[in-house]
Amino acid sequence: MDASLLAWILFLPLASAAACGLLLRRRGTLAAGLSIGTAFAVAGLALRALHGLGDGEVILAQAEIGRLGETALRVGLRLDGHAALMLFVVTFVGAWIHLFSWGYMREDGARGRFFAGLSLFMFAILGIVLADGLLMTFAFWELVGFCSYLLISHYWDTGFAPPAAKKAFIVNRVGDLGFILGIAMCLSTYGTADFGELAAKAAVEPAPALLGFLLLCGFIGKSAQFPLHVWLTDAMAGPTPVSALIHAATMVAAGVFLMARIDFLLAPEVLQLCLWSGAGMAALAGLCALAQTDIKRSLAYSTLAHLGIMGAALGLGPDLGGGLTGAQLALLHMTTHAFFKATLFLGAGSVIHGCHHEQDMLRMGGLARRMPLTFAAFLAATLSNCAVPFLAGWYSKDAILEAAHTSGGAAFALLAVAAVATCLYSARMIRLVFLGEPRAEGAREAHESPWTMTLPLVVLGLGYSVVAGTYLGLPEAAARILPAPMEFHLGAASAVGLVALALGLVALVLYGRSSGDALRDRAPRLHGILERRWMDGLYDGYVAKVQQPAAELVAFLDLALINGLAGKVLAGGVPALLGAASRRLFHAGSVRATAAWFALGALLLIALLMGLL
Amino acid sequence: MESTLLSHHLGLAGLVFSIGLVGVLVRRNLLVTYMCLELMLAAAMLALVAFSRHNGTMDGQVLVFFIITVAAAEVAVGLALIVALQRRGGAVGSDRLDALGD
Repeated sequence: MDASLLAWILFLPLASAAACGLLLRRRGTLAAGLSIGTAFAVAGLALRALHGLGDGEVILAQAEIGRLGETALRVGLRLDGHAALMLFVVTFVGAWIHLFSWGYMREDGARGRFFAGLSLFMFAILGIVLADGLLMTFAFWELVGFCSYLLISHYWDTGFAPPAAKKAFIVNRVGDLGFILGIAMCLSTYGTADFGELAAKAAVEPAPALLGFLLLCGFIGKSAQFPLHVWLTDAMAGPTPVSALIHAATMVAAGVFLMARIDFLLAPEVLQLCLWSGAGMAALAGLCALAQTDIKRSLAYSTLAHLGIMGAALGLGPDLGGGLTGAQLALLHMTTHAFFKATLFLGAGSVIHGCHHEQDMLRMGGLARRMPLTFAAFLAATLSNCAVPFLAGWYSKDAILEAAHTSGGAAFALLAVAAVATCLYSARMIRLVFLGEPRAEGAREAHESPWTMTLPLVVLGLGYSVVAGTYLGLPEAAARILPAPMEFHLGAASAVGLVALALGLVALVLYGRSSGDALRDRAPRLHGILERRWMDGLYDGYVAKVQQPAAELVAFLDLALINGLAGKVLAGGVPALLGAASRRLFHAGSVRATAAWFALGALLLIALLMGLL
Repeated sequence: MESTLLSHHLGLAGLVFSIGLVGVLVRRNLLVTYMCLELMLAAAMLALVAFSRHNGTMDGQVLVFFIITVAAAEVAVGLALIVALQRRGGAVGSDRLDALGD
C-alpha cells in the first residue's frame, strides 16, 4: 500500500467542499448528495487503507516546504496505529452523520453552504489525523476551528448563534497561543516538529515541563478542558448533526488524539495537571448536566464529562503495567465515546426534528411509543454511556476507572463521582424525554423520523455501541493501539459501576414521580448552583474589570501621547507651514491643476534621467 | 533607412502624445479630457510598436495587445464613472470636480 491512497482520502472532501461551496450554493439537493457520497467514498477508502496496514507498519510520505536556518519545515502524511484508529472513527461516524444531515436539513434553505462546511470540516479533521508533524497539525487544527465557527453560525440570522460561534473561536485562540508557542519551543529544543524524529529525540533527552505544558494548552482549548470549557455548551447553537460530528465525536476528540501522539513530550508534572483538571471537570460537568433542561446542552455537559475522563486517562501516565499507557486508554475511550455520543446527539436531533424543533426536555415525554427506532438507538447509546457491562462504554470507562484506582490516587474518587453522575443524568434524560406522558403539544404530535435519519442511528447506536462493543469498538483498529487483549476482573471500578447503575435506577423512579424537574422541585438551591455558569461569570468579570480598563488606558495613551503630543505639538511647527503652502499649490482640488503638476513632474524626471539637470 | 523610419515614427508618437497632454491640460469637458488621455496612451503604444519593429522582436507588439485589452476595460470603467458623475452633478466639467480640495 502506498501513500497515494492517503492523499485521496485527504483531498476528496476538499474537492467536494469546493464544488458545494463554489458551484452548488443554490442547489442544495445536489450539494447534499455530493457531500454524502464523498463521505461514504472516503469511509470506504479508509477501510481499505486500514486493511492494507500491517501490524506496526507506518506509512509515511514527506515533502520539504521550506527552511528556517538549520531547521527543515516538512509536511507529509503518516498512518500508524494511533492514526488508523482515529481515521476509522472520523470517516465512519462522519459518513453516517452526513447521511443523517440529509433528513435533518431537508427543509433548510442554505443546504449548499451547510454541506460545503461539513465537507471542509472532514478535510480539516482528516488533515489532523494524517499529519506527520506538529506544523501540519497546527495548520489543520486552525482549519477545524474555522469550520466549527462556520457551522455553529449556520443559523446566522438568529440572535444566539453568531455570539456562540465567536465565543468558540475566540476561546480556542487562547489555547492555540500556547500550542503555537509549544511548537516553536519544540523546534528550538529538538530542531524538528516531526512526530517520528521527536519520539526518537525525546527518548534521549526528556522534554522540559514547560514544553509539555504549552502543548497541553492546545488540547485544553480544542478539547474544551477546564478552564477553557466554556465554549462547548454554547456551541450547541449549531445544527444538531454539527453538534454530533464536531462537538462530540471528532473535533473535540482531536485534542485527545494529539496528546496521545505526543505523550512522550509530556513531563510528569504536566501529566499530574492533566489528571487532576480532567478528573475534576468530569465530576463537575457530570453534575451540571443534571440541571439543564435543553436536551442538547445536557448532552454537551455529558461530553465535557467524558472529555474530562479522557484527560484524566491521559494524565495517568505512560506506565500502567503490562505495556499499557494512559494515552492508549484515552484513545480507546475516545473511540467508544465517539460512537455512543454521536448516537445520543443524533437521537436528540431526531427527537427535536420529530417534536417540531422543541429542545426543552420538560416539554417532551412519552416519545418511546411515537419514535420506537430512535428510542431503541438512544437507549442503547445511553446504556453504553452509563458503562453497562459488555457494552462499548464499559470496556473503556471501567478500564480507566480501574487504572485510576491503582495508580491515580484520589483522582479515582472524582472519576467515581463522574460515573455516578453519568447514570443520574442519563436516567433523567430517558425519563423526561421518552417515558411518561407527553407534556406539550409538540410531543403529542411527534412522529418517527425518515429512514435517512433512523438508519444512522441504528447503525451507530445498535451496531457500534452494542454489538461491536463486545469486540472493543473495531477489533482490528483497537488492537493496533492496545498491547494485549484487556482483561476484566471484579475490582473497585466494577463496584463503582454497579453503585452508579443502581443510583441511576433510583433516579429513574424519582424523576417519574415529579411532574417537572425533580431536582429543581426538591433542592432548588443545589439546582441553582449547578445551573449557574460560574466560569462565564468569571470571564465576564475579568473582561469588564481588568481587560476593558487596560484597553482604555492604552487607548488614552495613544490619544494623548501619539496623537496629541507627537501628532499635534511636535508636528505642528515647520511641517504645518509647509503643509499650508503645499495645500494651496498642489491640492487645489482641480483636476487640471493636478494634471499640470503631474506633467511638470514627469518632465523634470525625464530631464533628470537624461542628464540635462 | 531603418533608423530614419524609427525617428519618424517616434516623432509622430511624440506629437500625438503632446496633443493629448495639451488637451488634458486645457479642455474642461471631462469626455474630451478622457479622449485626450486615450490619445496619450495610443501614442505610447505607437512608440512601443515602432521600437519592436526596429529591433526585429515581437515583444513590444505583444505588449500592445495586452495594453489594448486592458485599455478597453479601463474605458468601460472610466465612461461609467463619467456617466455616473453626469447623473449626480448634472455636468461633466472638470473644474467643477473639486471635492478633494478644501
